[in-house]
Amino acid sequence: MEKVIEIKNLTKVYGNGRGIKDINLDIYKGDIFGFLGPNGAGKTTAMKIMTGLVRPELGDVKIFGYSVMEEYELAMEKVGCLIEIAEAYPYLSAFDNLKQLARYYSDVDNKRIDEVLELTGMIKYKQEKPKKFSLGMKQRLGLAAAVLSRPKVVILDEPLNGLDVEGMIDIRKMIQYLAEREQTTFFISSHLIHDVELTCNRIGVIYDGKMLNVESTPNILKNYATLENYFVSEVERNGRVSSCAR
Amino acid sequence: MAVFQAALVNEIEKLYKKKKALVAILLSLAVIVIGQLAIVVVRSGFGLRGAGSVEFPMLVLSVVVNTILPLFTALVAIDSFSGELSQNSMRITLTRPVSRFKIFTAKITAIVLFILATLLLLLIFSMLAGFIFNTNSATWDSLVRTVFSYLVSLFPMVVLALGIVLLANLFKSGISVFFVSILVFIVLKVLGVVFSQYSSLLMTTQLDWYNLFLVNSFPLGKIVRQFLIMLGSGIMLFTAGFYLFDKKEF
Repeated sequence: MEKVIEIKNLTKVYGNGRGIKDINLDIYKGDIFGFLGPNGAGKTTAMKIMTGLVRPELGDVKIFGYSVMEEYELAMEKVGCLIEIAEAYPYLSAFDNLKQLARYYSDVDNKRIDEVLELTGMIKYKQEKPKKFSLGMKQRLGLAAAVLSRPKVVILDEPLNGLDVEGMIDIRKMIQYLAEREQTTFFISSHLIHDVELTCNRIGVIYDGKMLNVESTPNILKNYATLENYFVSEVERNGRVSSCAR
Repeated sequence: MAVFQAALVNEIEKLYKKKKALVAILLSLAVIVIGQLAIVVVRSGFGLRGAGSVEFPMLVLSVVVNTILPLFTALVAIDSFSGELSQNSMRITLTRPVSRFKIFTAKITAIVLFILATLLLLLIFSMLAGFIFNTNSATWDSLVRTVFSYLVSLFPMVVLALGIVLLANLFKSGISVFFVSILVFIVLKVLGVVFSQYSSLLMTTQLDWYNLFLVNSFPLGKIVRQFLIMLGSGIMLFTAGFYLFDKKEF
């Protein structure tokens, strides 16, 4: 299977001791990868390094074989992402916000902008400015921006933040649609474990900056009643090991 | 090149749509109106000549290069860096297939274009006001020198903008950058007076370098020296600013 994202020995420790330590991970084409971990485990740090917002102390991330540190433009060409809070320029309309991004891609025209606004249910707010948007609407616009360029890889950090139930279902459907129809690979972090269980086909658990385990969702569900049980057992086991070691 | 072009168009669109730049340009034009009114009052009230048609644009330039133009340049530069950093909107561009060098250069180019547009508008409107309201004393030579003075004023203003961009990448808050910029500006002005023999090295003194082009015995040596000092400081400030921008974590 084609390797889409290759993370090798990724390390970045902040002054407060938090961060990530020696993370190794491979993501394959068609994966909807769920990145699970408690608060402060290092999920966002890893995703920020993957998208070039933060530089690692050690290690590298390759997307389609291009290093994010060395060949940024090539590595990010087929990537769409949404990191932490979905940001938009408050003084530009939803359409103009997407138009700003569209200029970086030769094959994204106004029709495509309308398409993604339709896909995320934002078409009726096309000419409105995000300063009047609710958190959920901003999140939808952020998701529209992430899939605008028809990316082959989409990296989403807490994509369901601020969305209502209807919004969550819509976005889940959108992810599954893109994964099935366009073979888009997804790398998603979320606290909503039930949603991860329904959406993702591979799960990785990160705890205290270290990768604990990577397993396919069907395999996990063979041994555990729910993904939540698996997650709690993984984290508890690790917590116990580290407390025993002390 | 297409990627840089896209980044530049985006920066110009943001400047234009934010309306801050537009307000700055309108306020600059207000200076011309106020200046012209003052001259008309002086002339009709006291019977003094005030300024001739070509002298008026030079009077405007001497006022704006030391006051509102650095101020508006600072506002636009701070908004472009610290403003986007505090709103986290810098991430929108940074996670696209465009290198940080291209983003940084596009931002600087947009600021340069803003300064150029303001200078050109000031030139056109002050000339119009000069010709309409003041006695005609224009010669081709003085006209060319006036246009040239406006155009060369772009260089020291760009160096100043690069200095402010460096500060904007050094400090987190836009307000800190603004106050530090004003403080540095005042300190350099005072240093220029106290150590007048070294004043040509200071960027605040260079703001008036257009005067060199008005001297009848064209001082080529001095002009080249000043230009090289500005070029050197510009390159250093650009490099230092980019170094900090490139190392920044968002």
